[in-house]
Amino acid sequence: MKKDAEELTGLVFDIKEFALFDGPGLRCTVFLKGCPLRCSWCHNPEGIKPTPEYMKSASGKRLAGRYYSVSELAGKLFSYEGILKDAGGVSFSGGEPLFQADFLIETMRRLKGRLHILLQTSGCAEAQDFAAVTDLADTVYFDLKVMNPALHRRFTGVDNAGILDNLKRLDRSGPVYRLRVPMIPGVTDTIENYDDIRSFIKNNLNTGGYLDGLDLLPYNPAAGGKYEAVGRKFEPEFDEQAKTRVNPDFFLSVVKEAKSL
Amino acid sequence: MTNYAVGERIINLRDSVAKGEHRRVRVDYVPHVLDICNKLGLDWPRRASKLTAMMCETETPVILPGERLVFTRTIPAVPMYYSPEQWKQKFEGRSMHESGIISNICADWGMLLREGLARRKDVINARYIGEGGEKLKILSETVTEAVDAVLSLAGRYRKKAEEIGELEIAKTMAAVPYGPAHSFREAIQSLKFVHSALWMSGHYHVGLGRFDQYMWPYALADVESGALTWSGVADYVAEFFVSLNKDSDLYPGVQQGDNGQSLMIGGVDRDGKTSVNKLSYIVLDVTRAIRFIDPKINLRITPDTPRDLLFKAAELTKIGLGFPQYSNDSVVIPGLANMGYELEDARDYSVAACWEFLIPGRGMDVVNIGAVSFPYAADFALREAFKAESPKGETFSRIMEICRKNIERQVDKLVEAKKNILLPPAPLYSALMTDQLETRGDISEGGKYNNLGIHGSGSANAADALAAARKFVFDEASVKPARLLYALDSNFAQDDELLLMLRENAPKTGNNEDAADNILRELFDYFAEACEKYKPVNERWQRARPGSGSAMYYVWLARGRKGMLEPVVGATADGRRKGDFFSSSLAPSQGVKVTGPFSILQSFSKIDYARVCNGGPITLELSDTVFRSEDSIGKVADLVALFGRLGCQQMQLNTLSVEELTDAKRHPEKHRNLVVRVWGWSGYFCELSEEYQDHIIKRHMLAV
Repeated sequence: MKKDAEELTGLVFDIKEFALFDGPGLRCTVFLKGCPLRCSWCHNPEGIKPTPEYMKSASGKRLAGRYYSVSELAGKLFSYEGILKDAGGVSFSGGEPLFQADFLIETMRRLKGRLHILLQTSGCAEAQDFAAVTDLADTVYFDLKVMNPALHRRFTGVDNAGILDNLKRLDRSGPVYRLRVPMIPGVTDTIENYDDIRSFIKNNLNTGGYLDGLDLLPYNPAAGGKYEAVGRKFEPEFDEQAKTRVNPDFFLSVVKEAKSL
Repeated sequence: MTNYAVGERIINLRDSVAKGEHRRVRVDYVPHVLDICNKLGLDWPRRASKLTAMMCETETPVILPGERLVFTRTIPAVPMYYSPEQWKQKFEGRSMHESGIISNICADWGMLLREGLARRKDVINARYIGEGGEKLKILSETVTEAVDAVLSLAGRYRKKAEEIGELEIAKTMAAVPYGPAHSFREAIQSLKFVHSALWMSGHYHVGLGRFDQYMWPYALADVESGALTWSGVADYVAEFFVSLNKDSDLYPGVQQGDNGQSLMIGGVDRDGKTSVNKLSYIVLDVTRAIRFIDPKINLRITPDTPRDLLFKAAELTKIGLGFPQYSNDSVVIPGLANMGYELEDARDYSVAACWEFLIPGRGMDVVNIGAVSFPYAADFALREAFKAESPKGETFSRIMEICRKNIERQVDKLVEAKKNILLPPAPLYSALMTDQLETRGDISEGGKYNNLGIHGSGSANAADALAAARKFVFDEASVKPARLLYALDSNFAQDDELLLMLRENAPKTGNNEDAADNILRELFDYFAEACEKYKPVNERWQRARPGSGSAMYYVWLARGRKGMLEPVVGATADGRRKGDFFSSSLAPSQGVKVTGPFSILQSFSKIDYARVCNGGPITLELSDTVFRSEDSIGKVADLVALFGRLGCQQMQLNTLSVEELTDAKRHPEKHRNLVVRVWGWSGYFCELSEEYQDHIIKRHMLAV
C-alpha cells in the first residue's frame, strides 16, 4: 500500500550548502541515502546503505542519515529560497536519489516552479519512477559508466540494460541533460568504452534536442577516504595510480557529432 | 576580460624587495632628535615637526636599479622626540592610545595630488596672518617646517636623479610632491613620497584610502592623451605596491604584517553613483601578480558591482593572501549616516588598518579604544542569576537583562577610561587632512569626525553560551544551575557529559537558527544602546561607535594581557574550555561544525548594522578545492554578491589547504612565502607564534 504523501519520509545523509560541482549558480545539494549500485570507485560509501549508520574518525563519531518528512525537507530547502531562486537551485544526489523514488517525487512536486531542480542519477530505477522524476526535474546529470554489459555488471554490480532504456527515454522526453562520465583508469577510459559511448550517442541519443553536453569527471584520488569511517575497506578492482587516457577532443567530437545529427 | 600582467622590470623589483636587497642601503644611525629638541627647549608641536625635519634631512637619496618611482628609507629607526619620562609626563592625567602617536587614519590623498604639498604652507600662512593667535602661529610654523623638510628631500632626490642621468625621475621629482600632479606617474610618485614621509614621522597604520578614485583622473587623462597605455598604468601601480613592502620589518604592529596599509577600491562616489573603473580591475590584477601582503586590498560592493570585478576579486582570494576584504555599501553607508556622518562623507568611506570604517581626510576617529567582552557579560549574567541557593524564580529574560547591564557597564568603563585620550601634535598629517588647515587646528585637536570605536568581541561564543543555558536550564530543565556553574568553575574536569551536550546539542550561531541568532542580535542591540547614550562623549569626542570586530581580543579576552581594561573569562557555557580562543570577529564559535556558508551569512545578517557600524567582518574559510575551476571561482563571486544581498556588512574570505598549513608548521623553511589572514590583516604564516599557527590550522579544518 502506498503511503500517504504527508507521511512519506526519506533518508538524507547530507545537505550541502554552496555545492560547487552540482549544477549552475548557488546551490544546495541533498544527498539521499541508499543505492542499488556497487561501483567499485564509489567515493560516497556512506550513501550506499539505506539505513542510518555511524561514521567514526579521529574527530569522533557522527550519525550519517537522518529521516525527513516531505514537508520538513521542502521547508528546509525553501528556507534557502531567497538565496537559490535567482541563478541557482536545489540538486538531488546520493546514493541514488531514485532509490527513494516516492519520497523524491513528492519532494520535487513541492519545489517545482519555485526552485530550479537538478537531478544527478545513475539511471538505475524503475522506468515508471524514472519518467515521473525526470518530468519534474529541470535538468538532469546522467552518469554514463561502462557500456559493455558484462563489465558494467562486474564493476557496478547491476545490469545496464534498464539504465540505457531510461537514458533513451530521457533523451526523447527531456528535460535538458548532460552526460557525465567518471574516468576510471582502465575501466571507463578504455578505447573500447570510448567507442561504445560514441556509437551509443550516435545511434540512440539526441532525438529530442535535450542533450546539452558531456562532462568528463577526473578520477577522484580521495575516493577511498571515507571507507574506514563506515567500517569498510576500499578495494578497487582497478589500478588507481594508472594514468587516465583522457582525450577531451574525442569526447568533444562525439558530442558535437551527436548534436549536429 | 583583460588581465593586466606585470612586466619583467616589475618582477625583478619584486624579487629584489622579497630578498631584501634594498635593505643594504640602510645605515645604522639614529638622528639625535631628542638631544636637539631638548637643547632647543622645543615645545611639543615643534618637536613633532623637528622629527619630520631631521628624518628627512638625514635621509640619503637612493635610486635602485630599474626603479621609476623613488624613495627608499635608509634610516630604519624613528627616534622619539621626548625621553620615556618626558613622554609619560606629557600624558599625566590623560589617556594614551597605543604608543600615543597618531595612527590608523587616512590622509586626503586626492587633495595632495590636486594641489601639491607646497600649497598647504600658503593656506596656513595666509590664515595665520589673517587671524593671528599663538596656536595658529605654532601650526603655521610646524606645518611649514615639516612640509619644507619633505620638499627639500624631494629636491635632493631630483638632484641625485640628475647626477645619475635618470632624467624622467628628475623631472618627476621637480614637479611633485611640491606641486599638483600632471600625470599618472607624478601622481603615484607624489603619493609614494608623502606616504613614506608619514611613516618617517612616527605615524603608523598609514592608510591609502580610495586609490581607484583619487588616481583615476590621472590614469584616464594619460591614456586618453596617449601618454600611457593601460598596461603602463598597471606597471606603475605594481611598482608602487611592491615598494609598499620594502619596510614591512620596520613597522610597529602586534605581529609582523600588521601594517595597516589598507587600500580601498570600488563602491559609490560622493554623489552615490557607482564608481568602479578600470583602475579597480588593475588593482586586483596587480595584487595577484605580485603576491605581497601589502597593500591590504578592500573592495566595496554595491548591487551594481560588475560580476567580472567580483570574479577577479575571487581569483585574488584564490591565491590565499586573505584579501580582498569586502564591505557592503548598502549597509555601511546608512550605518555611518546614522552615526552622524554627513551622507556625502559616509559614501566616501574607506577602512583603517583592519576593517574599521573611516573617512579619508576627515576622520580623526580612534577606531579601537578597546573591546566589549560579550562572553564575559554572558558568564557574569549566568553566575549572577544562579548564585542564589535555589534560583527558582529566575527567568531567561532576567539573565538577558543582567547581560544588558553588564555590557553597558563595560562600555561606560571603556569610554570613561579613554574619553580623555590625548593625541600628540602631527603637523604633517594636519597638512594632509581635508579643510584641516583652512578651518581647524592641528589634527591632534580633532578632525571633522572624532568618534571612539569599540570592538564587540566573542559574540558567537556568548550567544551560544546563552542559547545553551536557555535550552538546558530553562526550556528542558535538564541541567541544574549548580551543575553548570560547577562545570564552568572546574573547566569541565568532571563533566564530559555536560561538555558534550553544550557542544553538540545546543543551538549554535552560524546555523541560521533563531534560537542562537536572536540572542546574538540582542547582544549587539545592548551594545549599540549603551553606546548611543553618548551623544556626544564630551566636547572633544563625538560618539562611541560599536563594532563587531575582535582584533586580538579573541585571544586576550580568553587569556588576559598586561594592562588590559577588559575582563577575562574562564570556561564558558558554550562548551569552551578555559583559555581556548574565542572566534575572531563574526564567525561561528571555534570548533563548531555548521551547515555551511549560506547559513553563516544568514545568521550574521540578523545583526542590526544600522546601529553597529565600527566594522568587523564575517570570516569564511574556504577550502582550496573551491577554486578548482573557473565555474566554481564564479560561485565565489556569487557568494560575495549574496553576502551583499543578504544585508551583511563586511566579509573576509580565506583559502588554504590544511595540508599546506600543517606542512608549513613542520617545515617553515619550505613555506616562507605562505601568507595567511590573521584577523584584520595578512601576515606570513611562518612568522606567527605556534599558538596562532595552531589556531589557524584548526580554523581551516572546519573550512567549507
